[in-house]
Amino acid sequence: MPKATRGVLIECDPSIKALIVNIDSSQHNIILDELDDTHLMIHPSMVEVVKQKLNKMLAENTYNPNEEAAKATGK
Amino acid sequence: VVDQIKLWQLEMDRIRATDGYLFSEFKNFDEYKDVSTYAKELGVLLYENPGKRKFVSTLAGSQQIVEFVKRRNQKHRSSAN
Repeated sequence: MPKATRGVLIECDPSIKALIVNIDSSQHNIILDELDDTHLMIHPSMVEVVKQKLNKMLAENTYNPNEEAAKATGK
Repeated sequence: VVDQIKLWQLEMDRIRATDGYLFSEFKNFDEYKDVSTYAKELGVLLYENPGKRKFVSTLAGSQQIVEFVKRRNQKHRSSAN
């Protein structure tokens, strides 16, 4: 009998997948199965956690003009 | 700079999340092929990976797939006798 596991299928870019793998690496409580470069099966209760952490990571990687201006005037 | 922000927003938009069931650990490729074909015909197949013998169905389709597997395995057992 094959196994049936309840989860949430995530379809995304390889770069986003790498970020999710990174988020999972500390506790390994998010990813049920790494299906391929652009597909993941994750634990249903962890979808919101992943969404929040991704948003935070992506925001940190976004250019902040105010920060640059502060640096420039500091010189 | 503006282009970069747009790119990130686009990447967030490109993430799709769908509730479902992951079917795995098929006995052999024949079993995988039969069951995934059934799921496809039902229109409940979200994702398939024949190389790994794994596929994902919609939440609603999972029960019918489980019933199909039971029927299939029963048939195979009786034909072996």
